Amino acid sequence: MPTKWISRKDLKKLPDQWLKQYDVYAPIQNGHELAFQLVKESAQIVWDVPSNPRYPAKSLFLPQSEVLMSYDGILHSVEKVERPKVLFGLHPCDARAIRLLDHALVDEQNPDEYWKSKRQSTIIVSTACISPDESCFCTAVGGSPFNTADSDALIVEVEDEFCVYVLTEKGGVLFSKLPDAEDAQREKVEKLTKKVEAGMPKAFPKKKLHDNLLASFETDFWKEVSQSCLGCGVCTFLCPSCFCFDIADETVRKERVRNWDSCMFRTYSLEASGHNPRPTKMERTRQRVMHKFVYWVDLVGEIGCTGCGRCVKYCPVNIDIRAIAQDALHREFEGMKK
Amino acid sequence: MTQKKPLIVLFQCQYCLASSLDQYWVEQELPENVKRVKVPCSGRIDPLYILNAIQGGADGIMVCGCMPEKCHYKEGNLHARRTLNEFRNFLNTLGYPQERFVFHWMNIDERGVIQPLLASFEERLKRSKDRPRLANRMLNQENG
Amino acid sequence: MPNTRDQKIQAEAKRLLQDGVVDVVIGFQKGTLPYKMQPCFISRADEVAKLTLNGLCSNNLAVYLNHWPKGEKTAIIVRGCESRAIQTLVLENRHARENLYLIGVPCIGILDLQKIGQQELQPVLAVQEEGDQVRVTFGNGEKLFKRNEALHDACLHCNHPQPLNADVVIDEAGLFEDGSFDKSYLHAFRNLSAKKRNEVFRAEAERCIRCYACREACPMCYCEECFVNHSRPQWIDSTIAPSGQQGWHIIRAFHQTGRCVSCGACERACPMNIKMTYLTDLLNQDMAAEYGFEAGLDAAAAPPFLTLGEDKGKFTGEQEEDHAN
Repeated sequence: MPTKWISRKDLKKLPDQWLKQYDVYAPIQNGHELAFQLVKESAQIVWDVPSNPRYPAKSLFLPQSEVLMSYDGILHSVEKVERPKVLFGLHPCDARAIRLLDHALVDEQNPDEYWKSKRQSTIIVSTACISPDESCFCTAVGGSPFNTADSDALIVEVEDEFCVYVLTEKGGVLFSKLPDAEDAQREKVEKLTKKVEAGMPKAFPKKKLHDNLLASFETDFWKEVSQSCLGCGVCTFLCPSCFCFDIADETVRKERVRNWDSCMFRTYSLEASGHNPRPTKMERTRQRVMHKFVYWVDLVGEIGCTGCGRCVKYCPVNIDIRAIAQDALHREFEGMKK
Repeated sequence: MTQKKPLIVLFQCQYCLASSLDQYWVEQELPENVKRVKVPCSGRIDPLYILNAIQGGADGIMVCGCMPEKCHYKEGNLHARRTLNEFRNFLNTLGYPQERFVFHWMNIDERGVIQPLLASFEERLKRSKDRPRLANRMLNQENG
Repeated sequence: MPNTRDQKIQAEAKRLLQDGVVDVVIGFQKGTLPYKMQPCFISRADEVAKLTLNGLCSNNLAVYLNHWPKGEKTAIIVRGCESRAIQTLVLENRHARENLYLIGVPCIGILDLQKIGQQELQPVLAVQEEGDQVRVTFGNGEKLFKRNEALHDACLHCNHPQPLNADVVIDEAGLFEDGSFDKSYLHAFRNLSAKKRNEVFRAEAERCIRCYACREACPMCYCEECFVNHSRPQWIDSTIAPSGQQGWHIIRAFHQTGRCVSCGACERACPMNIKMTYLTDLLNQDMAAEYGFEAGLDAAAAPPFLTLGEDKGKFTGEQEEDHAN
């Protein structure tokens, strides 16, 4: 796939051209915060985003509340033709999370049509993370701030110019008119990549982490870790790769909706009988961490956390999933294979 | 075209409206735009009931309870008065009109008051200016 | 001789653990990010060096008592708001006072991360408190803030920063005197037009993502089952539609009437920076005006919604309709 080159001035005009055919979603200032929202003109877009907008981009594919169907004596399915979309300006960690969610939601026999239709109609153009935040750790979980694996195109800023890696045909459509990058320019990008990655945390040993966490399952380690947890849903709601949902009937307006749910809530695992298999915060915190670092690895072969740092940054009591993983790596648990 | 009648939700303590005529009227002849919710005591009315009624589309809320010291459960009406008054106050502070939410504390031997009360409340609701409403449980906006 | 605030706290915690007065001390330790502190639970005397207390300790520690084994002897480091919260919890029979040992610390206020610019645009690398100034190091340089300007709103409006009814008070000057601030900011809100007030409320509530961090961070929210989790009947819209968001914020605040100690932990826990202490402050102001009640001040006075009997004289039937116009 070709590598293109574009000046800052020209790049800032590009979204205006896309707007004719696509709905463009990009980080824009929304009050005090940044958010991925529908762009009206490219001047709105915040270009240099050091940290991730707090509300994750998964909401564009798996909205926090989504109407599945309505009923009014008879059932009406909600059929909507998705407009073609460009999701622009997310970091590679978020792009990776969206691909991970494909594993969870697009099963071959039984795909989630709501997710699939939105996903297929979207071109993902990510921007490389030049100055990662102090809460970022994508390199620790197998990603990179310059990861090209999961987007349709990746834009890297180098010395006030931009290098565009076109990664799929879908992404190529947006950048077809640009000139190819020269070798000297590519070298600059490679140098920058090395420099930024050098400042990031080292990768967790995936297998060891997996085994250590499994061995820790019944130990008091989790009690220690979860002691300060409040049990709110911040970490999971802001997580780009958490996808649990709850289906509810809104009887007043006669709709069946699906809402994000969180394994950190007490009611998440509460059964109708009143029994709760995860009765305390300990089991719930364990579930969140184990899901990311053990169950995802078992099922897909990849760590389910993408290192975006949102849960680290916005947790009200500073429960740090990086620290939990590090801690688990350096401890000896009973029954652990030497 | 005639103006649509305002929808009123009447919360009624089962011990007030003791006269059989009044009771018959609220049970059988209540106009269609009035929905009645019978509760064992006005103290049972949680602010959530009121919120639900408003969000469910009610234009007016009327709470009927017993006079002080006439409460079947001794203090239920005192509780209702304290909490619901404050709740009405609170809604008003947040900009939701308090005239849409009225109380009537009635004596156990009062006769035939409920009909005129509802009629005058309805009149007032019709005349009242359009002020902010609590969000209805309406169709969902995606990607909110 | 211990001299700093942290050292005095540590010395007291050490004494309590060594003498077996308590089994565990709840306090704060340094977090993993430069602008975060983490609540910690110290049960061994050799671990007390972790304990610290500064302007970045944003939680209300009393919240942990709600799920705490009741018999366990517990020491807890309290500032003004925490001591009032504990007083209210004890009053509501959530915890036995004799099992608690309160290490009072005169409050130095809590910094508002939003006011010192912790957001997406610039990473915060360090926060240093230097007397009445706060030095914040960003990715692109340093910035000095006046401490009074960087404090959280709830702290600026706090009337009782001194710990109440504590077993021991750390001998260190707090930043505020009791009653040095007031709730006059509420008058400004009340004086707005109804439409304007409504707009403010809507704009705040409609950013809500229903993660319930406000509920979980609040020491007063201890219900076994919250009204939003009911599914039969379903009291509140489950979605992030405005009806659900507004309903949640109205009822959450209303359940705190006369119980909220205005610590602002809910606001600081909110990932979306939603303002909500003004809601409970408004209700508390009403309670103070009507019943002369302020939460957590009196160890024996129950909140107004729990005391009913003495209303009898005031309750006069029909003219109630015009009440509080």
